[in-house]
Amino acid sequence: MITYDDEVVCAPRAGTLYDVLELILDRGMVIDVFVRVSLVGIEILKVDARIVVASVDTYLRFAEACNRLDLEHDVRSKTVPEMFGSPVAKTVGRAGARRTARSLTDKVRDVLAPEHEEAAEAEARTRERAERPRSRPAARPRGEDDRPRSRPRRRTETEDE
Amino acid sequence: MTAPTTTAPESAPESAPESAAAPKALYVYGIAPAGIRTPRSRGVDGAPVRLLTEAGLCAAVSAAPPRLRPRRRDLLAHQAVLDELAEQGPVLPMRFAVLSPRTDTLLTQLRSDAAHLTQQLDGVRGCVELNVKGTVVPGHFADLVRRDDRLRTLALQTRRRPDYEANVRLGEAIALGVRREARRAAREVVDRLAPLAVRTVQGATDDEQVLSASFLLRSADEARFREAVAERARACGDRLALSVTGPLPCYSFVDPRPASPAGR
Repeated sequence: MITYDDEVVCAPRAGTLYDVLELILDRGMVIDVFVRVSLVGIEILKVDARIVVASVDTYLRFAEACNRLDLEHDVRSKTVPEMFGSPVAKTVGRAGARRTARSLTDKVRDVLAPEHEEAAEAEARTRERAERPRSRPAARPRGEDDRPRSRPRRRTETEDE
Repeated sequence: MTAPTTTAPESAPESAPESAAAPKALYVYGIAPAGIRTPRSRGVDGAPVRLLTEAGLCAAVSAAPPRLRPRRRDLLAHQAVLDELAEQGPVLPMRFAVLSPRTDTLLTQLRSDAAHLTQQLDGVRGCVELNVKGTVVPGHFADLVRRDDRLRTLALQTRRRPDYEANVRLGEAIALGVRREARRAAREVVDRLAPLAVRTVQGATDDEQVLSASFLLRSADEARFREAVAERARACGDRLALSVTGPLPCYSFVDPRPASPAGR
C-alpha cells in the first residue's frame, strides 16, 4: 500500500513529531474528572513548530527575485522554483513538503540567504533556457521532469530533545 | 529503561484507601473496547503501559511521572502507545498529559460513561485520521506579477527607482499575493477532499502553513484519498506544498469533553 509515496510526501505511519504535535496537544479527549496537567514550556514548543516567515528579509528576497524577472516580454523567463534556489524547487518537485520546524527554518534560511548560489543560479538559468524553454510556470510538465537533479535530502528524525 | 511503577503521586488524596489499587495518579492514553492486547511500547517517562477494564471498555494507562513535561520522547511515547491501540481497532485518544487522580476515579468514569464512550468508539470504528498540511510555495510568483496589474506596475516602478523602501513594499505585496493564492489553493484542496471523508476538521493556520485539516476516513478509502491528495499536489504544487500524515488515531474526531460526569 505504498502508492503515492514518491509523489506526495506521505509521512511514515506515525509522521514526524511536528506533524502530529498540534493533534497530540490540542485534540483528543479530555475528561472532566481527569486532570490535564498544565505543561510548562508548551507554548514555546508550539511557537517553535510554527515559525512565521513574514519578514523584511523575505520581502527583500521576493523583490530581488522580481527585479530579475523579464516583465517586458512575457516569455522565456525562468520558472520561479529555480530562481528561489533549491529548497523550494525541491519542495515543488516533490509536490509536497515535510514540515518540521527544522525544515522550515532550513528552507527559510536557504531561500533568504543564498548569496553563494548566485553563480550557480545564473548558470542554471542559462541551462534552463537552453534545455527547457517554456512560457509559463503553470505549464510546467508534471512528474519526473520537475524532479530536482539531486534528490531532496532526507531528513532523518534525529532531533534532540 | 525499566521505570519504577511506584511513582510518587502528585495529587492522590490520602483518604479512601483502595483495596485493589494503590491510590496513585495514572497517565491515561486512551480508551478502547475491552479485550485488546496490552501495548508493548513504553509509555510516558518509560513506564510500562497496562489496561484497566470496566464495563466492556478498557483504558490504557501507566503510572504518572512525578513531573510531566512535554518532552520529545514523552510526546512520542504517547503517540506510539495510541498507534498500537489504533492498530487493533477503534480507540478514543486522550490529549497529551491527561491524568486520572486515582484508579477508582478512572473505573467509575468508564462505568458511568460507558454508553457515551461506546457510542464514540462506534463513531470511529473502521476509520483512521489523515492530516493534510499545506505550506506556501512561491512557485507561481512570476506568473502572479505578470498577471496582476497592480503588482506589475509596482514592480516596474521599483525597477525604475530602486531603493530599500520600494523593495520592501514590492516584496511585501508579492508575499501577500503568494499567500493569498496558497490559501485559495488550500480551499480547493479541502473542497476536493472533504467529499471522500466521513468528517473533516480544520485546524489553525498561519502565514506559512495555510492548510491544516484532518479527515476521518474509512480505512478502505485511504488509498483513494491519498490518490486525490497526490492529484491536488500536482495541480497546485506551484502554490501549495501538501503533506499527508497518517493513518493516525482519531484525535480530531472524538468529543473533546464528554459531558456526563462520573457521579462521584
